[in-house]
Amino acid sequence: MKPEDVLRIIADARGTAICIPTMTTSPAWRTLAPNDLSIACVGFMGGASTLGLGLALGCPSRRVIVFDGDGSLCMQLGSLPTIAGVAPRNLSHLLFKNNVYHTSGAQTTPGGEGVDWVMIAKGAGYRDAFAVSTLDQLRQRLPTILEGEGPIFVELHTGLSEKTPMTDRGGVPFPQQVETLRQRLSA
Amino acid sequence: MAMPESVPAPLIIDTFKDLFRAERGGGHRRHDPLGWIISVPDTHQKSVLAALDKERDLRVLTCSTEDEANGVAAGLWMTGEPVIVMIQHAGLYASVNTLRGIAMDGKVPVFYMIGLLSREADKDPRESKHSMVRYAEPLLDLFGVPHARLEGPDDVKRIPEYYRLSRERRGPAAVLVGLPTN
Repeated sequence: MKPEDVLRIIADARGTAICIPTMTTSPAWRTLAPNDLSIACVGFMGGASTLGLGLALGCPSRRVIVFDGDGSLCMQLGSLPTIAGVAPRNLSHLLFKNNVYHTSGAQTTPGGEGVDWVMIAKGAGYRDAFAVSTLDQLRQRLPTILEGEGPIFVELHTGLSEKTPMTDRGGVPFPQQVETLRQRLSA
Repeated sequence: MAMPESVPAPLIIDTFKDLFRAERGGGHRRHDPLGWIISVPDTHQKSVLAALDKERDLRVLTCSTEDEANGVAAGLWMTGEPVIVMIQHAGLYASVNTLRGIAMDGKVPVFYMIGLLSREADKDPRESKHSMVRYAEPLLDLFGVPHARLEGPDDVKRIPEYYRLSRERRGPAAVLVGLPTN
């Protein structure tokens, strides 16, 4: 699957969900969903999952969807049991698995293709975890991803994105995204 | 130098609750937590963490790492929730990039209670023989993080003071816990 196609399907169906892209999903997402219910994480090494956890706990009536990367999640692997331990019902954790650190030059991630993220998420205690390899499977699973009881973990088998935060810099600065999202959520 | 004293856990917890009540004003729903304590266990503050386990008005979330604690605190703050991060000095060192990225560059207020494990009662922390103790304040200074010492019960007023400072400045602020709480 192309990550852009995955994101397009999510963007069309997300409704009022807060979305948290990180690294290579960030450039495409800001084009597909240029609104103020997203916050892109770049620069703090795997922080999307826990930022999403905080948002999910503070907004229990709203779906929160994290677009994580396998390289990013390796950096904060402990976030899986942290999330599972508090078990927010409204959190969907999507892992874009491309087996490389794409942004920094496509170095292979630890374990690369052989890492079974579904097993890791289930072992950590996620309520549901499954893999998706085709866009048709993604469409079938979309109701679960958007409305199922979380925390839900989805391992998405994707290729490389067309753009990375290094090849396509820009977008709204992080502090401004923070302020806009906070204002929107407190309105 | 005045000798530091231990601070009782109930005094710290009451301070948290008063602070959170004041922040929420009249907007608190009875069954919701007054606020959140995001912690990575700290030996120095273990009596507070133990007392928090029995506390119904505050919700405690234990994270695997201090990086995570920063992320969770940031997300909660964006939703309008009052939140305090409790960590130890080693955790501060472990998470400086996240502190920089989220609290400093991201302009997200994060207030930390940082335990100075192994701090000698008869020495200024900057003169400690333990590097973990000695470098905590210089590191915070280097990053421009406002900080104060909790050196006895009279210093609990520093908690709301520096918590509010983090909100006013839209950035990090810290209180350093000098001796183990009791």
